[in-house]
Amino acid sequence: MNRPEKQPDSSPYAAARPTTDVAAESPLAANLAGLLTHEDVDRARDRWRVSRARWRERGSKTIGGLSVLWLLIGPGVLVFLGENDAPSMLSYAATGARFGIGFFLPFVVLTFLMGLVVQEMTVRLGAVTHRGHAEMIFDRFGKFWGFFSLGDLILGNFLTLVTEFIGIRAGLGFFGIRPIIAVGIGLAVVISTIATGRYWTWERITLALAIFNGLFVPAALLSHPDWKAAGHALLTWTPLPRGRGEDILLLILADIGATVTPWMIFFQQSAVVDKGMQPRDIRAGRFDTLLGVVLAAGFGIAAILACVPLYLHGINSSQFEAAQFAEALEPWIGHAGAALFALGIFEAGIVAAIAISTSSAYAFGEVLETGHSLNRPLRDAWPFYSALLGSAAAAAGLVLIPGVPLEMIVLTVNVVAVLAMPPALVFLLLLVNDAEVMGEQANGSWENAAGVTVVALLIVAGIGFGLGTVFPHWIHR
Amino acid sequence: MRHDEPAGAGARDGEPPEGTTAGLDLADPRAVLSLLEADQVVAAKQRSRFGHRNLTPGVKALLWSMRVYVVVMLVLVVISVLRAIHPAP
Repeated sequence: MNRPEKQPDSSPYAAARPTTDVAAESPLAANLAGLLTHEDVDRARDRWRVSRARWRERGSKTIGGLSVLWLLIGPGVLVFLGENDAPSMLSYAATGARFGIGFFLPFVVLTFLMGLVVQEMTVRLGAVTHRGHAEMIFDRFGKFWGFFSLGDLILGNFLTLVTEFIGIRAGLGFFGIRPIIAVGIGLAVVISTIATGRYWTWERITLALAIFNGLFVPAALLSHPDWKAAGHALLTWTPLPRGRGEDILLLILADIGATVTPWMIFFQQSAVVDKGMQPRDIRAGRFDTLLGVVLAAGFGIAAILACVPLYLHGINSSQFEAAQFAEALEPWIGHAGAALFALGIFEAGIVAAIAISTSSAYAFGEVLETGHSLNRPLRDAWPFYSALLGSAAAAAGLVLIPGVPLEMIVLTVNVVAVLAMPPALVFLLLLVNDAEVMGEQANGSWENAAGVTVVALLIVAGIGFGLGTVFPHWIHR
Repeated sequence: MRHDEPAGAGARDGEPPEGTTAGLDLADPRAVLSLLEADQVVAAKQRSRFGHRNLTPGVKALLWSMRVYVVVMLVLVVISVLRAIHPAP
């Protein structure tokens, strides 16, 4: 393995390198013993639980045993169920309502496979470097490129956060709850998850909320889906969508943006670091990510199937907003089904608001080199928590201002996510191919082939969108 | 816990630490350090950096092309949204 590039003499930092050395055996151990923080102690407690579970389950044929998996799942499931957010579920709803069962079912599965390829790399990067994504970009590429990358993230995250609160408002609006109260509930949930100052508690509360993304499954079952047609579509990618090329292209982009976005990269890597995962946990981290993909793909497809009755009955859903899907579905899936759909949109908004605001705060803390861990008490890491709550509160406030073009933001957010993804992926690919950083966990040729294919597909989708915008008559034919 | 030997010795292998069967005394810094990798300790991370990588002309060209791509695409998004809000008659 290559040795790391030497730091300039003026740098106050030692040269980091990939290592699995135990801190207690490090030459710096005596110094570090006096510098331990609350964050270190909490992380060590989490590691101790994993160590004990591994020891108890030694010889198990599953990846370290079920109790080890239980302790190590989190970032992967959260990132994918978090990305099944309000605009994503509405994209799936619009897909089902406009095109029924067909091409888009296997297409959504494909987008999740793309997501799996990307997010697996963040697990390795986080577990090996113990540093967040923003920190690694600033470290390896410098401030110039770092700030570009951070700018994309912050813009995309803020727009997405606004759409989450639109979803929260609309979901609870179905039950007659006033917007200001609905948005207040959303903000209160975000605050309550961080109040314990403990990553583990935050993660478990958010996971418990995220599993309610499964509300779309009973809603889909109440729509009595044509399982034979669904199976046929998954195998043959047919029938192909018909209609205005512009609409199809926009939904293709929105469905991709519902699965692969820059915030996911930043979030999962930072969460892996905050959870204290180590290279020996990478297999469990892969399982965690795969579990997230399976759950999120299943729930996404359920949202498509739930809205197929609108397609079958010729309901024009092109101008529908969040709650209107639930209201329009009521004659076919009943009040209970519509209520489940509306609650699902509310839940999707809440979990994503938690995850995305945390993603922004991690990046903010990493760049400012201030405390950036959910294991830190509020008083120790107030800039980190202020960024988290400030971004959520600003988005929540914006949703309540009359006259703000919320429709425009909803239309834009998933498309912006897709367009900002290739540069984010290029940074990720460069980092996971960097032997100085990754050591033996650097990408192999298969991982690179998969990663480059994802970048190419995203660029093709983006160029398709661009051509459709510049030459609209081409796709109107 | 005895203090004349590393607290939580063998903890990384999941073995119960010396002198205890239930848990680990995390008030002892040696126990904490025995569970974390050297680079996981906050103070250690603050003192080290991977440092800038050498950006070859090819990598620079790739990064710049991505930047141009994003800017062009964002302009197209704005055009597209304006069209959606104010459709041509």
